[in-house]
Amino acid sequence: MLKKRIIAIQLLLGERLVKTREFGGYRDVGDPVKSAAVYNSQHLDELILLNIDRDRRSADVFADWLKEISKVCFMPLSIGGGITGFDDAAFLIKNGADKVVVNSAAYRDKKLLGEIANRFGSQAVVVGIDVKRDPSDGRIRLYSDCGRSAEPVALADHIRSCVDAGAGEIFVQSIDNDGVMKGFDIPLIAETQAAAAVPVIGAGGSGTYEMLREAFVATDVSALACGSMFNFTDSQWMRAKAHLTNYGLPFKAV
Amino acid sequence: MIGILDIGMGNLGSVWNATYESGFDPEIVIDPDDLDQIDHLILPGVGHFATAMEKLCEMGMVSPLRSYVESGRPLLGLCVGMQVLATEGTEGARTPGLDIIAGTVDRLPVNPPFRVPHIGWNAVSAVRDHPVLERIKPERDFYFVHSYAFRPVDEANIVARTEYGAPFASIVGRANVLGCQFHPEKSQANGLRILENFCRWDGVC
Amino acid sequence: MLKKCSQCGLPETYETIEFDGQGVCNICNQKSYRDGAIDWDARYAILADLIEQYRGKHDYDCIVPFSGGKDSTYTLWRLVTDFKIKPLVVQFDHGFMRRGLRENNLRTFKKLGVDVLSFTPNWKLVKRLMLEALVRKGDFCWHCHTGIFSYPMHVALRYEVPLVFWGEPSSEYTAYYDYRDDEIEEVDEERFNRFVNLGITAEDMAGMIDADFEFDRRDLAPFTYPPLRSLKRLGYRSVCLGSFIPWDVRKQVGIIERELGWKGDQVEGMPWDAYPYEKIECFMQGMRDYIKYMKRGYSRVSQMVALDLRNGRIEKEAADRLVEQFEGRKPPSLEIFLEYLGLTEDEFNSIVMKTVVPPHAPDLASLEVAPRTWDFDQWYREAPEDRGIPCKPGACRTCFDCA
Repeated sequence: MLKKRIIAIQLLLGERLVKTREFGGYRDVGDPVKSAAVYNSQHLDELILLNIDRDRRSADVFADWLKEISKVCFMPLSIGGGITGFDDAAFLIKNGADKVVVNSAAYRDKKLLGEIANRFGSQAVVVGIDVKRDPSDGRIRLYSDCGRSAEPVALADHIRSCVDAGAGEIFVQSIDNDGVMKGFDIPLIAETQAAAAVPVIGAGGSGTYEMLREAFVATDVSALACGSMFNFTDSQWMRAKAHLTNYGLPFKAV
Repeated sequence: MIGILDIGMGNLGSVWNATYESGFDPEIVIDPDDLDQIDHLILPGVGHFATAMEKLCEMGMVSPLRSYVESGRPLLGLCVGMQVLATEGTEGARTPGLDIIAGTVDRLPVNPPFRVPHIGWNAVSAVRDHPVLERIKPERDFYFVHSYAFRPVDEANIVARTEYGAPFASIVGRANVLGCQFHPEKSQANGLRILENFCRWDGVC
Repeated sequence: MLKKCSQCGLPETYETIEFDGQGVCNICNQKSYRDGAIDWDARYAILADLIEQYRGKHDYDCIVPFSGGKDSTYTLWRLVTDFKIKPLVVQFDHGFMRRGLRENNLRTFKKLGVDVLSFTPNWKLVKRLMLEALVRKGDFCWHCHTGIFSYPMHVALRYEVPLVFWGEPSSEYTAYYDYRDDEIEEVDEERFNRFVNLGITAEDMAGMIDADFEFDRRDLAPFTYPPLRSLKRLGYRSVCLGSFIPWDVRKQVGIIERELGWKGDQVEGMPWDAYPYEKIECFMQGMRDYIKYMKRGYSRVSQMVALDLRNGRIEKEAADRLVEQFEGRKPPSLEIFLEYLGLTEDEFNSIVMKTVVPPHAPDLASLEVAPRTWDFDQWYREAPEDRGIPCKPGACRTCFDCA
C-alpha cells in the first residue's frame, strides 16, 4: 500500500535556508547541507528545495549545493525556483535532482513541461501553483513570480493543461497560510485533488501534527509539505509519523 | 570495481555517493571497453524507456551489456534501468529492450483512487529469498516514482511485488541480473543496504 | 483527554510513542523484546571482545563521557570494575552543576582512580543558545545535548582514543532506535541529528543567532559534531554499555550507592522519597520538567512511574497518586531562568505555548509552586548588570514575535 508522505520545504536564499511568512519576512533556519543531513537522519520522506533569491535565478546556483547535499541525503529531492528552460531542468537532474518544480514558466510555456517529461518522464515534472484567496470573495487566485503577478487562469484549467502537457505531480501552496501556522487551506487542497489526475502535494500552513491529520483525512492528498512546522516547533518526521500512526494514517516503515 | 553506467538520463550522483559511502569504489562507465574492469554493474536511470534504449544504442552498449551479463557478473538495473532489461517497452512507441529478462513494460493501469505516476513510499514484499535482500526486514517501504511497470513472462523472475491498485513486480531477477523499480539510492537506510548487498553479491542466487 | 499506554501510562504526546492494537506502547513492547528475545550472553561476549580489541593500544582504553548521574556513574564503575580498563573520563559542564553532584563525582573519581577532563563552554554564548533553542524547539538544553555528545568525540580525536562508552541506549526510553531491530545502537552523527541536537546543528545555529548576537564562530566548536572522515580514520566506535548488558536503573542505583557512596538528591517537583536518584545532575532540571509539562501535559513523575509500571514495581493506583500529587508545579528555579535570559514570565509563557504538542492544551492558570531544594540558595545568580542577553547595536532580536 502506498504510504502518505510528509515533505519538508526548504527555501534557499544565498548561502542559507530561510523561512517566510506569507511569502515575505525571511528568518534564518539553517545551513542547507546540514539541514539535509538532519532530515535524512530523521527519515523524512522527501525534500523540496526552492531558490527564492530574486537576483540569482539561474540553475547553476544549485550545482554546489546539490553536490554536497547528495553526499548526505538519500531521499528524493525536488528542486525549483527560476526554472525557465529545458537546459535548467536537465542540468538540475544531472546534478542530483529527482524532480524539478516549475511554477512561473508553466503559465507561459507549457511546451517546457512536455520537453522535460519526454526526456525524464512526467514523474520528474512537478508543477508548483501558488494561490491567494481574493479578500473580497474568498475565490482562489493563482499567482506566479513568487506571489507577485496575478495569473488569470482558473485553478482547475491550469492544472488540467499542465497535466496534459506532461506534469506528473501538482504542488499547491497557499500564500495566505504560508508561515502563519494555523493549518492548511483544506478546500484549496481538495479542489486541487479533484482537478488533478496525478498525485498532489499540499502546502502552506503547517503548524501541528493535528493540522496534518485534518488535511490528510479531509482530502486524502498524497503528501503534505511543511516549512514552518519543522523549523519552529519541537517536531520532526519520526514524531509526526508516530502521532499520525496513532490516528490510523499510514507512513513508511523503515 | 563497481561500474555505474552513465546514459545521460538522470542523476548518478546519488547512486555514486551511496556506493561510495558504503565503502566501495564506484566508477562511471561510458565506454563499452570500460566494462572489462567492472565486477558489479549498476544501470540507473530516470525517464523514458525509448530514450534510454536510444542512448544505449548510441553508446554502442547493447551488445557489450549482453556479453557482460553472459559473463556471469552481477548487473543491477534501477527504475528505467530495470525496465530496459525487458523484451519490449510501450512508453511512446513500441521499443525493443535489451531482452535480458523476458517481459514487457506497460503503463500502470489507472484505477481510481490510485493515481499515475505512482509516487511515494510503498512496501516491497519479497516472494523469494535473494542475497540482495539480506537483512532487509519484510514489508519495508522503498521510494517509487514511475508510470510504467515491468511484467515478466516468467513468474519465477519476480523477486518482489508491490501493491498499487493491483500488484506489480517491484523487483525482477534472473541469474546474475536484478532489477528494482524503486530507487534504492533514494530509500535511505534500507535502500543503501540493498546497494551494499548488491556490491557484495557474487551473482549467484 | 490524552490517549495513554495501557501498561505504563505514558501519553500520546510522549515523543515517538505508538500504541498497538491492545493500547500498549512501543516503548513497553521494545522492553519486552529486550527482556525476552535478546541474547545478553552473546552481547556480553561482544562487549568483552570490543574492549580487548582496543585495550592498551592508545593512551587510554576508552573514553567515558560522564555527567555524574546514575547512568554514567554506573557505566564507569562497571567498566573499571569488570574489565579493569583505563578510561579517560570526560565531563561537559553545562553550567548548572550542583554541590551534591560535585561531591558524588569527586568521591567516584577518587574511589575508582581515573583520569578526568572537564570542559566548561562560554557562558555568555550558552545563554544565547538557550534562548534560541527555547524559541525554536521549546527546549533550552540544546547546548547541553550537543555539548555532551560532541565534545567527547573531539576529545577522542585529540587524544586518539577511538572507543567511547555511553550509558543507556535511547531505546530504553524512546523509539528513535528500537530494541526489536536487535542491533547495537551506534552513538554517531546520525543519532546526533536524529534527535540529540533537536534537529539543529551548530552550523544551523550560527546563522540563527548572528544577526543579533556578537560571537566568535569558534565558540560553537564544542557543540559541533566532528567530521565523520576524521572519526573513521581514527577507527572510532561509539556505543552504549546498555547495548551489552540489560539496563536496570533501580538495581544499578543500589550498586553505586553501595560501592561508591553515591547519593541521590532532591529535584524540584519530584517526590523526594520515591525518586531521589533521577536527574540529580542539573539545577535546571525543574525548568526542563516544567516546560515538558506545559508542552506535553506530563512530566518527570509520569516518566518515573512509567518505568516502574513497566517493570512491575509499582501498582497503578500508587502511580496515579504520585502523578496527581507531584506533577505540574512551577519550579522555584523559574525566576533564575528568567533572569539569565532576560525574559518576563509572560514572554516565557508565550514562547513555550508556541511549541505545545497537540492534542495537549495546557492550562497555565493557578499552578502551585514546588518546594525549593536544599541547595537552591547555592545556585548561581547573576548580578543585575549580567542578566539577560546583549543584542548587537541596531539589531532586532527576531527570535520571538513581539506582535
